[in-house]
Amino acid sequence: MARWGMAIDLDRCTGCGNCMAACHQENNLAAVGPEQTEQSRAFHWIRLVREVSGSDAHATVRYTPTLCVQCDDPPCVKVCPVHATYLSEEGIVGQIYARCIGCRYCMAACPYNAKVFNWYEPEWPGELKKKSNPDVSLRSHGVVEKCTFCHHRVNHAREQARAEDREIRDGEVVPACAESCPAQAIVFGDLDDPESMVSARARSPRAYRPHEDLGTRPKVFYLEEQE
Amino acid sequence: MSAEHTVRPELGPTVSHDLSERDIDVLLASVEQPGSAFRVVTTVLVLIILGAWVLFSRQILYGLGVTGLNQPVGWGFYIVNFVFFIGISHAGTLISAILRLSNAEWRRPITRMAEVITVVVLAIGAFHPVLDLGRPERMLNIFTAGRLQSPLLWDVSSISAYFMASTVYLYMPLIPDIALLRDRGARPRWLYSFMAWNWQNTPRQREVLERASNIMMILVIPIAVSVHTVISYIFAMTLQPGWHSTIFGPYFVVGAIFSGIAALMVVMIVLRKVFHLERFLKEIHFAHLSKLLLVMSLLWFYFTFSEFLTAFFGNEPAEIRVFFYKFTGPYAIPFWGMVVCNFLIPVVLLSFRRTRTIPGIMVASIAIVIGMWLERLNIVVPSLANPRLALPSGFYIPSLVEWGMFVGGLATFALGFVVFARFFPLISVWELREGQETAVSETAERVASYLPDRLENAPTGETT
Amino acid sequence: MTEPRFQETPPWIAALQVVSVAAIWVFVIGISIWIIHLMRLSQTLHDVPSASVGISIVAIPVFLTGASVLTYVFVGLRRGATPSTAEGRGEGRGAEQE
Repeated sequence: MARWGMAIDLDRCTGCGNCMAACHQENNLAAVGPEQTEQSRAFHWIRLVREVSGSDAHATVRYTPTLCVQCDDPPCVKVCPVHATYLSEEGIVGQIYARCIGCRYCMAACPYNAKVFNWYEPEWPGELKKKSNPDVSLRSHGVVEKCTFCHHRVNHAREQARAEDREIRDGEVVPACAESCPAQAIVFGDLDDPESMVSARARSPRAYRPHEDLGTRPKVFYLEEQE
Repeated sequence: MSAEHTVRPELGPTVSHDLSERDIDVLLASVEQPGSAFRVVTTVLVLIILGAWVLFSRQILYGLGVTGLNQPVGWGFYIVNFVFFIGISHAGTLISAILRLSNAEWRRPITRMAEVITVVVLAIGAFHPVLDLGRPERMLNIFTAGRLQSPLLWDVSSISAYFMASTVYLYMPLIPDIALLRDRGARPRWLYSFMAWNWQNTPRQREVLERASNIMMILVIPIAVSVHTVISYIFAMTLQPGWHSTIFGPYFVVGAIFSGIAALMVVMIVLRKVFHLERFLKEIHFAHLSKLLLVMSLLWFYFTFSEFLTAFFGNEPAEIRVFFYKFTGPYAIPFWGMVVCNFLIPVVLLSFRRTRTIPGIMVASIAIVIGMWLERLNIVVPSLANPRLALPSGFYIPSLVEWGMFVGGLATFALGFVVFARFFPLISVWELREGQETAVSETAERVASYLPDRLENAPTGETT
Repeated sequence: MTEPRFQETPPWIAALQVVSVAAIWVFVIGISIWIIHLMRLSQTLHDVPSASVGISIVAIPVFLTGASVLTYVFVGLRRGATPSTAEGRGEGRGAEQE
């Protein structure tokens, strides 16, 4: 069984934000509007975290695409009182929207701030509603949601492979963020397959995982920028 | 009741100096002559509570968006007040159980009020997480699909156990007083008749009640300790900076007892004034309790000091962000306000006999209640506002709905007391009476037993 | 003040008292079954069982003790009410009015 993981090469990332836009469309994320964003309720499953370092004269700006790191020991799953968030057999941390009671304990416990909450009934203004992706369920108000590693695409690839009586090929599953990345900074695949691209990148000396010290064993790797 | 003794002498012990009829009239005045003030106060409180619910209806209609919560500060007033109210509830039963257990004779006029605080506040506090839910209608999921590994579930079982135990613990010492009201013909008669459970003050009944009270008072102490420990675990079990701390359990319990005693003092002082209980709740009772309060204040400071020094000295980036968010950042006012209210004001006021008067104690107690509320705020919000990732600090401005529910919660607390006082005596009549009958001789006997044995009674041989 | 007097509990109130004791037991047993259900659920889901089950399992005897103490008080108070009621307990109360 696959153990899905992701590797993001920060050397390649240009901070263009395509991944955020693609994720929004793919996963039917609600448009919360400027007012809510002002209230710090911006709604992303993946977002670019900006870090400015250096002096004023020589400031370096660094963008890090941040998403749920799909921990192998997820702190959010342990605290959920109703089993609304769980670790699937393939290592994806899922959220059951229909069961979530909206206590937001998982959000409080997540060291990566990967989860978002539907403070109001989500809205898709104008044409957006008609363009929603039929593969991804719409959420209602009062529930927590998060990145699913484009779980529906994984399912699709698995069915395809089963129909053709073969294993899922490396690179067959591409999440929306990886697909949209013009610099191909994001690679997705099976971490248990030593031949896969993502494993190769994860083995790179530049590779690190965010807050490894917490023991959460994330499955999203970053490849550090070189000088 | 003295009349009853003459009618049925086999039912009670012979009485040497009973509480006078006038004393009992005063103690039962709140039940027997509630007057129009009761109706006015109840109406006002009910209106306040209704107002809070009208405000809250917006949250039911539109979702949690009407609060000031956001990402990353996903918990706010509701959780703060949950921790705060449950903290207050420790006054009660814990204090009353400890005082009973240690045979502190001055406990007699205090225990009842302490127990009432517990039950009322516990019900209010336990309801707060429900307000905080995004989908309260799905609460049943906790019962069908609850996961014991979540600290929230530990809370559910711990708080419900505490609620059960403290209700029983309030009710059992109430039975003789209910019987007194029943015998005096208080209305509604069926209620007192139902709740008095055939109490006729026979020796056998007294024995049963005493034995049961002893079991409950021992049972209630570990449960009360467990409740606030488990509440602290909600925070401590996560990995978040400022929360993931091993002393959170005892720290929360100390804070809970601290705020509980303070709330008890406020309630006692107010009710003393309202119901003219000056002759029962004397200065000496406040003096004793205020010493307890002073000790708790010092203990609280010790825990706070240890907690923050560890964070500061370790200088971990994530921890230190939370630390400075409180010390010099946006939460400086709540933080230093907390230190002033919980430590400076009470220690100064309660240390000196000149300020350890009823007004002084009132000021100190109110300061502590405010300070402990600020402490809960300082625990919940700053840690959430400073995530580990390189995100900008979050902010949290509570909305009108949250303020409304806060005021509504306080009004419910007051209403709980008013309703209780309307139906039951606020001071345990039978315990006072028992105290007057037996306490002096019992205490003298006990003190005598502490003294060295007389030579002729000494169990072992001669000493040189 | 009117002369304090003890009145016999009317039968319907006595019945209500019995019902309330039964309700306490239904409640307590319900909670115990619920906690056991959750413990079995945590087994099936392979949760982190040790600590959480340990913490929760303590609650069951607490509830049972609470209900037992209450029942003891209720039964004890009835039996100890007056010498005449000590023998006849429960339903026969109506006949024992003084």
